Amino acid sequence: MILRLERWGAWVKLADPAAIVALDRDAVRALGVDGGRAWDGPARPGGPSRPVEVHLAVTARCGAGCTGCYLDARPDGLEPPFEALVTALDAMRDAGVFTVAFGGGEPTTRDDLDALADAARARGLTPVLTTSGLGLSSARAERLRAFAQVNVSYDGPDGAYASVRGFDGAAAAEAAIARLSAAGVRVGVNVVLTRASFPRLRETMARARALGAVEAQLLRYKPAGRAASLDYLAQRLTSAQACSLGPTLRALTDAFCQSGDFHVRIDCALVPFLSADPDLAGDPARLSRWGVFGCEAAAALSAVTAEGRVAPCSFGPASAARPADLARGCRDDAELRRWRRPAGASAEPCASCSLALVCKGGCKVVASFVSGALGPDPECPRVVARRGGGAA
Amino acid sequence: MSRARPVRPEDVRRVRPGHGANCSSIGSVVDTLFATAAVGAALFAAVMAALETEPVTVVGGDPPEDDEEDAL
Repeated sequence: MILRLERWGAWVKLADPAAIVALDRDAVRALGVDGGRAWDGPARPGGPSRPVEVHLAVTARCGAGCTGCYLDARPDGLEPPFEALVTALDAMRDAGVFTVAFGGGEPTTRDDLDALADAARARGLTPVLTTSGLGLSSARAERLRAFAQVNVSYDGPDGAYASVRGFDGAAAAEAAIARLSAAGVRVGVNVVLTRASFPRLRETMARARALGAVEAQLLRYKPAGRAASLDYLAQRLTSAQACSLGPTLRALTDAFCQSGDFHVRIDCALVPFLSADPDLAGDPARLSRWGVFGCEAAAALSAVTAEGRVAPCSFGPASAARPADLARGCRDDAELRRWRRPAGASAEPCASCSLALVCKGGCKVVASFVSGALGPDPECPRVVARRGGGAA
Repeated sequence: MSRARPVRPEDVRRVRPGHGANCSSIGSVVDTLFATAAVGAALFAAVMAALETEPVTVVGGDPPEDDEEDAL
């Protein structure tokens, strides 16, 4: 296991089962590790002092042309040199980061991707990858074995994919899922939830699982890059769909996760929608204990752009901070500090929300686009109810 | 590094299963939230067993100086 000290204890990354675990000081001492100077003073409750996960844009190049690309990636996008990315990996190692998620742009446009994965492994980082899967050959799939997991963007069959991305790449994505699985790569799917793709979730997950995927990550559609337009308002989930997320997840778990070989994951931006589920909202300790993360921008999560700047998350604006600043949690960057703070924590409806400590005010990217502030999330069911409106 | 004693379950604050492989937003496994008590207990037991057996490597050095944000 890899252990990183925190003032309240430590974060630990286990190999088998793959998991990240937060331990109190007593548990860390039980492992034979003493916090030394890090534990001077009382152990106040706290979060991660530095990211546990960093998203690294290894290119801004992509020819897919998805209508809602959050990076506005283009075929002539910037491709950072290998050495610059290795320097960023060095900085992540020094900061005690556990996981580096390679993205872009389309990462597989790089011929040195497997070498980058090896470089991450050599630094104790767990490399994972997101790809469109477009054009992924069996031979290339086999070269991705150094990644702990590869997720393919797959929003569903029979038009669901096209409804999200503006072209029908479902067949290519499905081929990639099958090829990765056949190559022995642990493969998952990223499913972007729009009002058109949401009703198709069950068949999307059934198809992905049948092709060999072992996990589905559900992603809220976010108004960044090319999606930062009025069309966002037509694509985003309806209020009714947002409120039904909890029951939907319960049904998907019942249908696909009982044997333990397939998992459902939600992204940070979907957590506010769980506040509409009485069972989950009534038991916030369950979410916390099972490590559900809401907005962790510039906290447990950071991103490094293709230009080599630190951003609070992949959708947020690049700051002036460099990867070397991750070791100090980018404490000196005022913009990242602003993004790190929970949004609306001291005001209603967040102040009385049982999930506030997990959710942290919802998605700041959505909030800044829709309401011009970093939160609270204007599409959270509690916020919608308080304001007497809806995202119809 | 030798262990002083077994880790107590009550000293485990959070368990985040899996790797996740999304490059745009941080993800959390949620089927554990709806799983039966037996499934959850089995996963937790596997975590506790790994805590007892996997060798420990300390990384990242000391955390940065405490400030108000550490209390989030």
